[in-house]
Amino acid sequence: MTLLQVEDLSVTYRPRDSAAVRAVNKVSFTVGHGEFVGLLGESGCGKSTLGHAVLRLLEKPASITGGTITFDGRDVTRLGEDELRPMRWTNLSTVFQSSMNSLNPVITVREQFADTLAAHPDIAGERVDVDERAGELLELVSLDRGVLRRYPHELSGGMKQRVALALALVLRPRFVLLDEPTTGLDVVVQRDILDRLRELQRSLGFAVLFISHDLGTVMEMADRVMVMYAGEIVEDQPAADMVAGQLHPYSVGLLGSYADPRDAVVDVAFTPGRPPDLSREHPGCLFEPRCPVSVDACRTKHPELLPARRGRARCLLVEVAPDGSARTPNASPRDRSGTVFSADAAARNRGPADGEPILVVEGVTKTYRTQRALGSTTTTAVDDVSFALRPGRVSALVGESGSGKSTLARLVTGVEKPGRGSIRFKDTRVDRLRRRALRGYRRHAQLVFQDPFSALNPTRTVAYALSRPLRNHLGMDGAQARRRAAELLEVVGLSPAAQFLDKLPGQLSGGQRQRVVIARALAPEPEVLVADEPISMLDVSIRAEILELLDQLVRDRGIAMLYITHDLLSARLLADEVMVLNKGVIVERGPTLKVIGEAQDPYTRRLLAAIPRPGQERAPAMAGRSDGAGQTQSLGRPPHGD
Amino acid sequence: MKFFVRRTGFFLATLWAAVTLNFLIPRLEPGDPAEALLSRLTSRTEAVDPAQLAAVRKLLGAPDGNLLQQYWEYLAALANGHFGVSYTYYPYSVTDVISEAMPWTLVLVGVTQIFSFVVGTALGAWAAYRRNTRTDSLITLGSTFLGTLPFFWIGLLLIFVFAITLNWFPEGGGYGGGSQPGWTWLFFSDAFQHSVLPALSLLITGPIGWILGMRNNMVQTLGEDYARLARAKGLPRRRIALTYGARIAILPNVTGFAIALGSILGGTVLVESIFNYPGMGRLLLEAVSNKDFPLMQTLFLFTTIGVLIANFLADMAYGLLDPRVRRKDAT
Amino acid sequence: MTTPGGTPVAAPAAAGDTEGVGIAALDAGRTHRMPGWFVILWRNGKCRLGLLLLAAFVLVAVLAPYIAPFGPRVDAFATSQGPTGAHWLGTTAQGEDVYSQIVYGARTSLLVGVVAGTLSTLIAMAVGLTAGYLQGFVDEVLSFFVNLGLVVPVLPLMITLAAYAPVKGLGLIIVVITVTGWAHGARIKRAQIITLRTRDYVTAAKFAGDSTARIITHEIAPNMMSLIVVGFMSSALGAIGAEAGLAFLGLGDPQTTSWGTMLNQASLGGAMTTGQWAWVVAPGLILALLVTSFTLINFGVDALSNPHLRED
Repeated sequence: MTLLQVEDLSVTYRPRDSAAVRAVNKVSFTVGHGEFVGLLGESGCGKSTLGHAVLRLLEKPASITGGTITFDGRDVTRLGEDELRPMRWTNLSTVFQSSMNSLNPVITVREQFADTLAAHPDIAGERVDVDERAGELLELVSLDRGVLRRYPHELSGGMKQRVALALALVLRPRFVLLDEPTTGLDVVVQRDILDRLRELQRSLGFAVLFISHDLGTVMEMADRVMVMYAGEIVEDQPAADMVAGQLHPYSVGLLGSYADPRDAVVDVAFTPGRPPDLSREHPGCLFEPRCPVSVDACRTKHPELLPARRGRARCLLVEVAPDGSARTPNASPRDRSGTVFSADAAARNRGPADGEPILVVEGVTKTYRTQRALGSTTTTAVDDVSFALRPGRVSALVGESGSGKSTLARLVTGVEKPGRGSIRFKDTRVDRLRRRALRGYRRHAQLVFQDPFSALNPTRTVAYALSRPLRNHLGMDGAQARRRAAELLEVVGLSPAAQFLDKLPGQLSGGQRQRVVIARALAPEPEVLVADEPISMLDVSIRAEILELLDQLVRDRGIAMLYITHDLLSARLLADEVMVLNKGVIVERGPTLKVIGEAQDPYTRRLLAAIPRPGQERAPAMAGRSDGAGQTQSLGRPPHGD
Repeated sequence: MKFFVRRTGFFLATLWAAVTLNFLIPRLEPGDPAEALLSRLTSRTEAVDPAQLAAVRKLLGAPDGNLLQQYWEYLAALANGHFGVSYTYYPYSVTDVISEAMPWTLVLVGVTQIFSFVVGTALGAWAAYRRNTRTDSLITLGSTFLGTLPFFWIGLLLIFVFAITLNWFPEGGGYGGGSQPGWTWLFFSDAFQHSVLPALSLLITGPIGWILGMRNNMVQTLGEDYARLARAKGLPRRRIALTYGARIAILPNVTGFAIALGSILGGTVLVESIFNYPGMGRLLLEAVSNKDFPLMQTLFLFTTIGVLIANFLADMAYGLLDPRVRRKDAT
Repeated sequence: MTTPGGTPVAAPAAAGDTEGVGIAALDAGRTHRMPGWFVILWRNGKCRLGLLLLAAFVLVAVLAPYIAPFGPRVDAFATSQGPTGAHWLGTTAQGEDVYSQIVYGARTSLLVGVVAGTLSTLIAMAVGLTAGYLQGFVDEVLSFFVNLGLVVPVLPLMITLAAYAPVKGLGLIIVVITVTGWAHGARIKRAQIITLRTRDYVTAAKFAGDSTARIITHEIAPNMMSLIVVGFMSSALGAIGAEAGLAFLGLGDPQTTSWGTMLNQASLGGAMTTGQWAWVVAPGLILALLVTSFTLINFGVDALSNPHLRED
């Protein structure tokens, strides 16, 4: 039974001062009663726009420019706001991306429930007991009833998200659109909310369209998954089928970028390049420029979304294949998914584990004092932490937000001073450096930032950004610095360098920007590199690309790296040694394979358990690698030895 | 609580700064205004009360004593309410003269500004509610155009048209020759007649800032996720506009109101001057042209303190209106 | 959140985020000979009209001796006349040509606007940027003065200051206006730099070994261009208005011809009772026209720095 039917839907943005962009292009799909459908796509692919169009919430300059949306047999594409109003929330409700801002800041949570109920008296009942009804729902999402009296700013991010979810269910809707409902939350909190969501969906029986860029989560949650690229749906298959075998090369790349860190061999694929500019016409397949298996016809013929296996796909290669599954399943994963970065069971062959440490952190403690109305409270961000960094080795510091890992990054780079303990770089006490001496230290210790969009000044060219450390730390003149900058760009894989030197950051893709950020950090030829979540803001399809670059640098230059992350998979891929940080304390440490494979500490186990594992029933965190049949088949070489 | 403590602290600090500024301004000038004034005062009148002379000295900088000592005496004089004698209205004390002018200004400014704020905010909210419609452009462009007109010039035109040409209202002054200030009907109707044109010149341009500010704020809040979610929830348009738009958008306008009071009072000086209205603004000009320094200083001090108090009240109101400020440290 | 392809799925920038303008300006500047910010302003219709109007005013001010038929102080004509062929806008009570005074008045207004506007923008930048970047104690102290400057009733303060001053000249007026008019701009710039200083590229510049001064001038300031332009426009506008107000009250420089002094003279000279409407209407209208040109230009600048307004 079809609940929602979208046919040939197109959405166009017509900004006043730039070209029109076809963000959603002739999209067709259905959602059945009680079905859980995932919509997977990377930033800018149009998935959120599609969601807003389905909810009929588009605002200028975006508008529906073609196609129909039918809900429960009723065409809602052109209904006016007054006709839509009774349908809203009772039939279609939603949880927005970043619910941080989707609650009204100046009224209480109770009031936001009350006005929703009051707006739909026919469903909610004329004299509904708001406290009872809302309280019941809050309990469903594991919140205390007392939250009703709170204002949104008094709630944590996770609590707000739960409130938003409870609010979405208050009128027992038949369809809920979830737009990145847990993005930005800590993995453990995410896990908790998603588990609760799936339970509720099963027991209450509403249909879900789940929009996310988080592949593991979508695969695990959804019955059926649609993959969106550049405004089009490129693949649509039952989740289990998709895990077993992807039809579209883009999906192959996306799924290839996910792996279970506990596996003996972890292969992670990446798809270099960036999505096309949608303000221009493209005659051929939109994925063609990034496609590792494209043929000549792909450049000129735009593929249709056609039935394939038990789903649909938009690829010429799938089209011409007699069995509807193209030649893709026959090819090895390496052929299909451009490039692969892998880590196997052997230790990385870089610096020796017992080499002379270059940076030693000893018994470091950092407390912050926050002023309150009555006195002040102190929080201990980092508590008695010790570790050493050695040339040619990567030490990963794994923890959630608030675990103190970023504080450690600031301490190691001299941005902040520890309350107790010492940080020594060779013979220098980093914790005692001031001004000029600190500037001198930064010739040796550099930082790679998390967000490549904030780490580069949007008004300064690449050449300028790279020349500053060269001129300040190495005393080069303008011409020398420019030559050296070009060399650095080549080192980080931006080649030919001349093409990039005079570009502004806005003209580069996220991956290219992050490469520039890394090049800048390399400029003074540092011996210590602190990388603070360097891939977390990047699209999944290019993350492994940056990891491979970092690995290469450590290998070639003998840099000692502190790799800070919340993500055990990337730690598994890059690090020689892992330290798990919880509330400022290192709770577990050791060689990467040992910590991830044989986690002892309950917190580490929780982090591991929170990792989504598509195509598998979730099992409690356990030691040793898991045995995902469908997964290894499609994702990596057969494991050779434990 | 912290918010209120901080704002009270700021109020006291600015109060002190205003008092000190008032002490410093005459002393920053070359020459000795106090000496000059004293000589003029003594030459003009036969019997000057020595106590009052001393008060003037304290206010304006006595030639004797160092700056710190003078400052201390100045503060003491203020604390005792000795603001000196008006030179223009001798032998009346400055406070007497000001207390006579104050009600005129308070009523004129109070009524017109509250009216402007309410009307402006409402119009701005309405424009945002009907954004991108003809109503919106009419309100926005209309007020933008009116806002470019110098409002003292509007005052002149009002006199030209309604007082001189049409003769509907008196040209200026606070009340006519026939009535005397007092609690009589005649006086009130007369005072009202006289206040129509000054009030009008303040009211034509008064709401404009609030209209544009409110509209822009509210267009922004209506574009936020919570307003979009309110639409998705199927709330009635009015509820969205009021609770998810106006209720949040009005907050910056409240602080804006406090900050604007200073310049509003400046505007009154112009209006009172044009209409010869017997308020504090005209008094200030009179004091300036007569070099009546005690009166001028005290007027400046009083206006500043008045603005500071109004500011403080607006801050408190803001604290009560915005739960984010009110409960910041309750969690 | 991040849209590498420039696709508009996520809103491009938060409200008040001026970095976008900086980039757009650089982009625009690359394809044209003009500076980038100018190209962007020029593209906006309302803004272009404003720029043309302002250019006309500048032209009139510069060429005043050639445009005006008489000197502004030449009082050789019949007094208090209505508009005639010889005196398009009539004559004053002293027998001066009103039209010539209007033409020369443009000089005063523009001069005050540019000089006082520049000076207050500089003070506002110095105070706002320092307070916002350094924070801590320096910020507390500077912010206090900014807040004080915001709440003090400006015109009474101007009047008081002007009254004490021994010499009355245009210079004094400019100083008084500057001293009383910088606070608002400083507040906005402080708020802006507080959001900009936490950007990673500022930290990156520190790691690259740049000095604080260089960071402020090379990393932060370029991202505040639109804010600085808007700030200058509004202080210039405020200065022009304040000069007119002070002059109207008779506190201006008696030697200078300005639209404010003209209105003051008209009011004192009984222009309204003698029915010389042109003498009263012209200075006000021309002042309004100058203000309009600024407002129109601001439309362009505002629309750039506030994406919410841009889409309307």
